[in-house]
Amino acid sequence: MKYINLLFQGLERIQNFRTSHPWLSFLSSRNPKPTVGVPENSQATEEIPGNFNWNYSAMSVFEKESEDKQNGEQERYLQANNREFNSLFGYPNNSIKTSKYNAFNFLPMNLFEQFQRLANAYFLFLLFLQLIPQISSLAWYTTVVPLMVVLSITAVKDAIDDVKRHQNDNQVNSRSVLLLMDGRIVTDKWMNVQVGDIIKLENNQVVTADILLLSSSEPYSLTYIETAELDGETNLKVKQAISVTSEMEDNLKLLSAFDGEVRCESPNNRLDRFTGILIYKGKNYVLDHDRLILRGCIIRNTDWCYGLVIFTGPDTKLMQNSGKSTFKRTHIDHLMNVLVLWIFLFLGSMCFVLAVGHCIWESKKGYYFQDFLPWKEYVSSSAVSAVLIFWSYFIILNTVVPISLYVSVEIIRLGNSFYINWDRRMFYELKNTPARACTTTLNEELGQVKYVFSDKTGTLTQNIMIFNKCSINGKFYGVVYDKNGQRVEVSEKTEKVDFSYNRLADPKFSFYDKTLVEAVKRGDRWVHLFFLSLSLCHTVIPEEKVEGELTYQAQSPDEGALVTAARNFGFVFRSRTSETIMVVEMGETRIYQLLAILDFNSVRKRMSVIVRTPEDRVMLFCKGADTILCHLLHPSCRSLRDVTMEHLDDFASDGLRTLIVAYRELDNAFFQDWSRKHSEAYLSLENREDKISMVCEEIEKDLMLLGATAIDDKLQDGVPETIITLNKAKIKIWVLTGDKQETAVNIAYACNIFEDEMDGMFIVEGKDDETVRQELRSAREKMKPESLLESDPVNSYLTTNPRMPFKIPEEMPNGNYGLIINGYSLAHALEGNLELELLRTACMCKGVICCRMTPLQKAQVVELVKRYKKVVTLAIGDGANDVSMIKAAHIGVGINGQEGMQAMLNSDYAFSQFRYLQRLLLVHGRWSYNRMCKFLSYFFYKNFAFTLVHFWYAFYSGFSAQTVYDTWFITFYNLVYTSLPVLGLSLFDQDVNETWSLRFPELYEPGQHNLYFNKKEFVKCLMHGIYSSLVLFFIPMGTVYNSVRSDGKEISDYQSFSMIVQTSLLCVVTVQIALETTYWTMISHIFTWGSLGFYFCILFFLYSDGLCLMFPNIFQFLGVARNTLNLPQMWLGIVLSVVLCMLPVIGYQFLKPLFWPVSVDKIIDRIHHCMRHPLPHPSRTKRKHASSQRSAYAFSHKQGFGALITSGKTMRAKMSKKNSFPFKK
Amino acid sequence: MKRKSQDCQSRLPDNSAVKQQQLPAYQLQLSANKILSGFFATGVFCLGVGVILLLSAKTIKEVEINYTEKCANCAKLRENAANFDKECNCSIPFVLPETMKGNVYMYYKLYGFYQNLYRYILSRSNTQLVGTDVKDVRNCAPFKTSHNGIPIAPCGAIANSMFNDTIILSYNLNSSIHIKVPMIRSGITWWTDKYVKFQNPSFQNLSSAFAGTTKPPNWPKPAYELDEEDPGNNGFINDDFIVWMRTAAFPTFKKLYRRLHRIEHFTEGLPAGSYSFNITYNFPVNRFQGEKAVVLSTLTWSGGSSLFLGLAYMVTGAVTWLAFFSMLAVHLRLRERKMFFLQQ
Repeated sequence: MKYINLLFQGLERIQNFRTSHPWLSFLSSRNPKPTVGVPENSQATEEIPGNFNWNYSAMSVFEKESEDKQNGEQERYLQANNREFNSLFGYPNNSIKTSKYNAFNFLPMNLFEQFQRLANAYFLFLLFLQLIPQISSLAWYTTVVPLMVVLSITAVKDAIDDVKRHQNDNQVNSRSVLLLMDGRIVTDKWMNVQVGDIIKLENNQVVTADILLLSSSEPYSLTYIETAELDGETNLKVKQAISVTSEMEDNLKLLSAFDGEVRCESPNNRLDRFTGILIYKGKNYVLDHDRLILRGCIIRNTDWCYGLVIFTGPDTKLMQNSGKSTFKRTHIDHLMNVLVLWIFLFLGSMCFVLAVGHCIWESKKGYYFQDFLPWKEYVSSSAVSAVLIFWSYFIILNTVVPISLYVSVEIIRLGNSFYINWDRRMFYELKNTPARACTTTLNEELGQVKYVFSDKTGTLTQNIMIFNKCSINGKFYGVVYDKNGQRVEVSEKTEKVDFSYNRLADPKFSFYDKTLVEAVKRGDRWVHLFFLSLSLCHTVIPEEKVEGELTYQAQSPDEGALVTAARNFGFVFRSRTSETIMVVEMGETRIYQLLAILDFNSVRKRMSVIVRTPEDRVMLFCKGADTILCHLLHPSCRSLRDVTMEHLDDFASDGLRTLIVAYRELDNAFFQDWSRKHSEAYLSLENREDKISMVCEEIEKDLMLLGATAIDDKLQDGVPETIITLNKAKIKIWVLTGDKQETAVNIAYACNIFEDEMDGMFIVEGKDDETVRQELRSAREKMKPESLLESDPVNSYLTTNPRMPFKIPEEMPNGNYGLIINGYSLAHALEGNLELELLRTACMCKGVICCRMTPLQKAQVVELVKRYKKVVTLAIGDGANDVSMIKAAHIGVGINGQEGMQAMLNSDYAFSQFRYLQRLLLVHGRWSYNRMCKFLSYFFYKNFAFTLVHFWYAFYSGFSAQTVYDTWFITFYNLVYTSLPVLGLSLFDQDVNETWSLRFPELYEPGQHNLYFNKKEFVKCLMHGIYSSLVLFFIPMGTVYNSVRSDGKEISDYQSFSMIVQTSLLCVVTVQIALETTYWTMISHIFTWGSLGFYFCILFFLYSDGLCLMFPNIFQFLGVARNTLNLPQMWLGIVLSVVLCMLPVIGYQFLKPLFWPVSVDKIIDRIHHCMRHPLPHPSRTKRKHASSQRSAYAFSHKQGFGALITSGKTMRAKMSKKNSFPFKK
Repeated sequence: MKRKSQDCQSRLPDNSAVKQQQLPAYQLQLSANKILSGFFATGVFCLGVGVILLLSAKTIKEVEINYTEKCANCAKLRENAANFDKECNCSIPFVLPETMKGNVYMYYKLYGFYQNLYRYILSRSNTQLVGTDVKDVRNCAPFKTSHNGIPIAPCGAIANSMFNDTIILSYNLNSSIHIKVPMIRSGITWWTDKYVKFQNPSFQNLSSAFAGTTKPPNWPKPAYELDEEDPGNNGFINDDFIVWMRTAAFPTFKKLYRRLHRIEHFTEGLPAGSYSFNITYNFPVNRFQGEKAVVLSTLTWSGGSSLFLGLAYMVTGAVTWLAFFSMLAVHLRLRERKMFFLQQ
């Protein structure tokens, strides 16, 4: 007893010390150091020795500051309640501005930004070319109108975005805040808050600026905050004011008289760092980040607090952190840029050919034609003329680079993103969250994913633990048998155990084995002891807002599950203080004295509590990993141990997480002796951790085995099925987890990433480079022996082409293999030469599990694959630790899970369930990709067909830069006549519907190899375009050449020829798109045929008398439509052009799958076959369990907060009022 | 309370067909049978149209006489610009072996004359031609104004280069009687051109309407004196002028010059016999190696003499059938293989 007193006195002392001095590092979320820390010469650090003079005069500071302003703020200096003084430094006020433009600078700034895009700049360049009269070959409006339309569409979009941002800014800036002014609290707007002001914050308010905490309503001036908006962690964190300011409490007189000066670092974006000094009443106090409450946090569980504003508006850490995220571009984007360059070259060479032609023509013909058309005065020779004509043709043929390409691509992507937002089948009802496409520029990439990097906890699993089975004193509980003694699979219908005898039971808890309840009711001693130990041995914090409605705040969900189980079976853990635990045992309230908590850590893999029972017995309860605990058992329970081990194997084979529970009764004297040693160890300055664990080992031995628990780490719904589907789509799934190897492997088996029938499994756990290399190479030798030989194509490629960047092709192993690698080995593997070894080995495996990963390593693995493989990667995760990988991958997907918003905020797509991934990829992704490819092929084709006609015409018009079409047709072709059909195609087309997409995941494969649009396809488009332009030129030419109307009048004139060519062109491209449309909705009909009809309407309008008479020099084609469209030759010519353009296309489509079949053709055939003869639905696959994997853990691998409990810090004050408790996940 | 009700509001997306991408639609499946029968039908159609076109083109009678060489002496004369006001006539006799039945049209045909050059086509003033502003010569470079700055009417390269040979066809009933074949010089233009696009400036007197302008440099007479016989055919609405101003798409072209007036001997058309063209040779083509011809032709429903469309349809039809048969063969051979994996 004496020793205990001593111990507690010691602890008390430390606590007093801690509370009087700002030393709460253990409470800070980022420093989970042991609680009972010994302060290191605190007084010295807190007050800076007097000879170190920080008290500059205000003037000298100002001089220094203004100097600093020139090369950036070096240091911040401010005084509380002194606006005049602070205004000397010109700190910004608290208004924020995320908007880019205002009413005046919108136009110039937006235009400047838009012209930074290559295509827009190109068209601007063309516009300037056109202004040169010597080379202008097109009316000015042919370029201006499309450019204006394109620019204004983008500008409108930008303006809408910016207006939204303005509204947001305004809303944020005009939120109200309580400001201390002249001894009174006044309400003001956020934007009016200045550096040095003192503000009052109340419970659940959002923090206005980065403030220095002065005082709060809670004991020890603690303030609880939630930082979800900053780092996504939803758990509460604690900040504490320094003692000298906390004394002011809410005394307004004192607060407004407070004239402390703060010197601190300049604004920066480091959330976890703050250094500064408070100078108050002549003394200096050190400030660290535990005193600073950042803008964007939310005050919780604190009635009020006062703070001194340090950073405002743009200087706050929140705003400093909201830097521009990297802009992701898709493979198609890159390809498009390459192709646009190709087109430029193609354009240049065409212009060159034509210029040469012009030179020859001018010297042979044009020179002698000067009677009728003299050369211009500045044209001295045909060569000069040729140089000019080069540029003229450059202008005419500019339409090979489609101006509306980029705008259309954006519109299509936007539309396809909306489909994702609108999808009811990706809506998660329980959380009321629809799927969300945060980025609208990556859609088609979703159809090309080859590698999926998945987090485990919260992504594959629900991160919800459920007490499932247990073994108590050698008896197995948790399996339900029917009357015949057959084991029954638990399902929805299985009858649950009735816990109504227990008033405090958790209604959500369900258990099916009645024998356990009967044992409890019977009063089985072992069962009681087992549950008692579960209700005592933990670090859970209870919360009872309403009498009888308990909720538990557990550091790990496993622990919560165990305590909840004990609660339901009648051992209700009701409340705790730092010294006692109150348990309601079968309706009877008993208080246990809590003597010590020997907390969990990753080395010990166990935790114990020592309690004094009401009967004055000292008991130790311990729970921990079986591998550790079985060595600590008392020899007398060997036989029990063997039985329990068998049960543990059973549990493990079901994929359950297991723990062993044991107890030990301690001799009072022995305990006192140990307790003294323990407190000594705590107070020691050196090697404290080691000493403590040594002391703990002394007492955690000769344990008596009670039993084992099995907890079900529930997978999310549909995860195994999703993974099977994705595997069928040849998508490789790598699990990157921070969790332990056994856990990860277990889950991998459970969700089908690994299968029992696999040909082999490699575990890489080497601790140095050489071992890791050996392990990787031997794995590769087994999978593909020839890949180690010199002659292997990849090897020889690597030796001959050592230059970066190179891509490693896909290598096929001789079977199904799995690879497990842990973070330590990975650190070696990621360095230097092993990178490639790792990549080649891992990429051959069917499934890869990387465990014990740091967030950085996750990103490194993704980067590695991105760098050396020509594939699209997707990372999916739910926690803040997945952010790096989500940002690194081509596509980041955030799961809206238990671990806050951080992953979602950084992701490109966000939804609530892993299983929606298959819909995102196989349905939306595939459609987006197919649509984008169809769009691009068609778009390039239609522009080639359109433009190249000019090229052929050059040979008949003396290479004089004569266009074939009316200038208005050129103006409208891309924007009006052909834009809607192709938009309709790329927004509504479905080659096969969603059911088939999901039933035949193999359909996804072409996207991964980018088969539908690549350079080869582009060349095909080019060839097709050239062919079509030939037909479109020569058929109309033949039709009108030397021909006349049936009344003898003109038909072979230039304007009629234009008319017939442009009409045939439009018919051909319309029929072409009709041919490519496989899914004819009403809208497709309206768009396709409507556009064609609209063309004729516009035609009659543009060529009408009125318009042409009003502007005779602009609209020159008066009457052409009326005079030519009624001629049979005309229509015969158009029909022939269409037939000649379409027949080869249809023939190619027919013959291609016959001569060069790809796997998809077979599947499409099969689908068509199945449409006629429906298949039975495929049977669902059941969740498989690992066969021999043993997992043993019920803790997260982080330190618990047992020490915090014993310290009593938070327990002491208003325990009942608290509705939550600060823990670190 | 309010906030709570908002929270409870479901964010479930609308169940509309567009949003769920389930618009009712017809799924186009091009089965082998459809494609093959499509090819077959297209072949039939093309061959049919081709035959009809060729048959109708056969009925056309056409005579073309190239007089570039035949009037070589005149051509020589015209090469020297100094002789621009000297008249040069040349007569070209020819024999029509068969009667040209029905309406007969007379064309002049130019070879190697590039009416489609970019600068040439642009070189006209539509505001001038439509009669609103005779002095608007903005677009007419390089024939905007005369040397002394007077605007040209009609201005521009097209107008300036107007074809100005006169061709008179005479029917030699026998060696002494030469009947001038009656020809109509009106109704050879598009209605829209004659009555909308080309308008004389609205003045009582045509010559005063053209006051302040000068004639194009190559023209012997001003625009208001183009047709001495018919005062209503002068100025911008002169039929020959309008025909010329409708620029040809290709360097070889023919333009309607006159129509046969079917009276007297010629009610049936042009009877067989000997004829001669009497040509006043003005238009110089030798310098740019051009050629001139005169064409007499009858027409059918499908227009002029061009065989192109008929032939193109025939060829297309034939190729389509060829493709049809080869595709059928491939399809039949590979069908078994295809059925095999469908059953898999």
